[in-house]
Amino acid sequence: MNHNAVVIGGNRTPFAKVGGKLAQASNQDMLTSALEGLIARYGLAGERLGEVAAGAVLKDASDFNLTREAVLGSSLAPSTPACDLQQACATGMETAVYISNKIRLGQIEVGIAGGVDSASDAPISVSDPLRRILLRANAARSARQRVKALSAIRPQHLAPKAPSINEPRTGLSMGGHQAKTTVAWEVTREEQDEIAAASHQNLARAWDEGFFDDLVTPYLGLTKDAILRPDTTVEKLAKLKPAFGGPEGTMTAGNSTALSDGASAVLIASEEWADAHDAPKLATIVDSEVAAVDHPGGEDLLLAPVAAAGRLLKRQGLTPADFDFVEIHEAFASTVAATLKAYEDEDYCVKVGLEGAIGAIPRDRLNVKGSSLAAGHPFAATGGRIIASTAKMLHEKGPGSKALISVCAAGGQGIVMILEGI
Amino acid sequence: MTARPVVELSAPPDMRAAFARAMVPGGKGSARIPRTALALRDVAQDGARYAEYSRVCGFTLRDQVPPTWLHVLTFPLHLAVLSSRQSSVRLAGLVHVSNTMTIHRAVAADERLDITVHADGPRPHRRGALVDLVGRIDVDGETVWDGVSTYLASGMQAPGEIEEQPKPEFEPAGITGTWRLPATLGRRYRDVSGDPNPIHTSALAARVFGFRRPIIHGMWTHARMLAALESRLPDAYRTDVSFIRPVSLPSTVGYVLSAREDGFDTAVTDARGDKPRLLLSTFKKQ
Repeated sequence: MNHNAVVIGGNRTPFAKVGGKLAQASNQDMLTSALEGLIARYGLAGERLGEVAAGAVLKDASDFNLTREAVLGSSLAPSTPACDLQQACATGMETAVYISNKIRLGQIEVGIAGGVDSASDAPISVSDPLRRILLRANAARSARQRVKALSAIRPQHLAPKAPSINEPRTGLSMGGHQAKTTVAWEVTREEQDEIAAASHQNLARAWDEGFFDDLVTPYLGLTKDAILRPDTTVEKLAKLKPAFGGPEGTMTAGNSTALSDGASAVLIASEEWADAHDAPKLATIVDSEVAAVDHPGGEDLLLAPVAAAGRLLKRQGLTPADFDFVEIHEAFASTVAATLKAYEDEDYCVKVGLEGAIGAIPRDRLNVKGSSLAAGHPFAATGGRIIASTAKMLHEKGPGSKALISVCAAGGQGIVMILEGI
Repeated sequence: MTARPVVELSAPPDMRAAFARAMVPGGKGSARIPRTALALRDVAQDGARYAEYSRVCGFTLRDQVPPTWLHVLTFPLHLAVLSSRQSSVRLAGLVHVSNTMTIHRAVAADERLDITVHADGPRPHRRGALVDLVGRIDVDGETVWDGVSTYLASGMQAPGEIEEQPKPEFEPAGITGTWRLPATLGRRYRDVSGDPNPIHTSALAARVFGFRRPIIHGMWTHARMLAALESRLPDAYRTDVSFIRPVSLPSTVGYVLSAREDGFDTAVTDARGDKPRLLLSTFKKQ
């Protein structure tokens, strides 16, 4: 019954800034595009796969079957089932856990995990009182009842509501939360700008080396991640004004991720399926762990991956020194800096239930092909971007090489995963 | 001490009529309050109104109601007591200074309630007279909730020694989060609470009473703070509130919470967390 779940490969659209070249594409359009590129690369046209799991964070209620609709619009066999999953920015990671677990249990042999988000084509909803009035009018049994229900509409009900990325229980934006964490962990402006500059420089080098040639498919005239600025330096970043944390804040538009559009997909299969189909085996999905913190109670919103990493490393009997690569999703440069500090902080690690500090992560193994600050962060698409890139890095490094992936998410959640090169 | 006379009401008092009487300004003379308690028996809770109350205040809609909802159900009797002919204290210009309430056990939204309210005091205060409105809710003879709302009648007199209250302590310690209060919030809370005081909904009325803009009901802010704590609170607890300064509409406020062994100390503040608007503490009932 036990099988290994291995990453065969991945594909994504280039990522664009909100309002950029992908602004006209819906979630379904972009997810279909990412699937089609993957299908073409691995000869899956007409194939029935075990399942496709994907999701979007900003999703209209009418997109309840987003992934199934994308599958039906793709060249996969229409008999391929699909489901939508969502765990904020950890969505793409959770879809890979879901697909790989089914493969490990022998329930399916092959599947696709993915995610998509459009900040440009985000759903707009009506105010709560107006929604309730419209529901009453809809349920009315006579024209008179309907008119009576609708007569309750007042001008103040008519302002549309854009999707909020504020935490519902604290009213703070993610940047507002991270600004508190930045102060609490004494993360400096210089540390953040160094992380941001390295992200752009690393991603630019990876593009120049052709690393993304078999990981990205052009879409709507966009051939490369549009947010990437290869000439970014610490000096240029130092000139930007604070965006979060007030006038004394250290978080800027340069060291925080931009709202983005894009989609990603990862092909995962059992070793047996890969061998039978002569497919490349890049890396094994070894294990994964999720965690959450009490941010309404005042804890650091984006540090949940620390507890997850501590529990996962203990379960696998590993230490930070065992990893050739560490990928920490750059929600903000300050999130990466605070996460690294927390790994080394005995008190914090004990407070979140670990036996002691996890230990130091060597900086030269961190986000070596760039991360979300340079690539962009279409929320649910980030997990698939990281898993596909990391699997390829491990395959190039050689059998037995290991990587730790960490992604923080809204709601005070976080997910970590271990991949091992084949 | 002789037993307090109780007048049984057959129906909830008309809030607007009671309010109109209660709004007639009282004198500046000595504060007098009725000795009579008012009671309403076998009151059914209105499910649709309770649902809207939960939405407006940020509570998850549960079968167990929050204590502030039970306070709202006693409020028509507060008004009725203060609009009685035996009361020289009028609601107009009264300042809600503090509140304490205890929920003795989980109360379900479909339980029928016996509600009793009477006034206590008056007690002297350096700015006037304090009056307590004391409420109690029973189910089948068991007290499930009780609460005391303390109001200041500015400029009125009461006999006795002034009890110096220690100033509530507040140390700015950064905010846990913020709430945005829209201009329409006063109207939405009025509709679920039945408190028709126009200082919460009309800029003109607010100015008459010395506020530049309408202010949100203190009991909304109280409820919103409990809603932020909801999953952390036990079935039975006491909650004490001091209303420090009113909150204008629209505005953004901050809140901060810290845990104690037997409850929470919380504050609603200005947006930066420097100045307190309301201080609230909860205490698990032993």
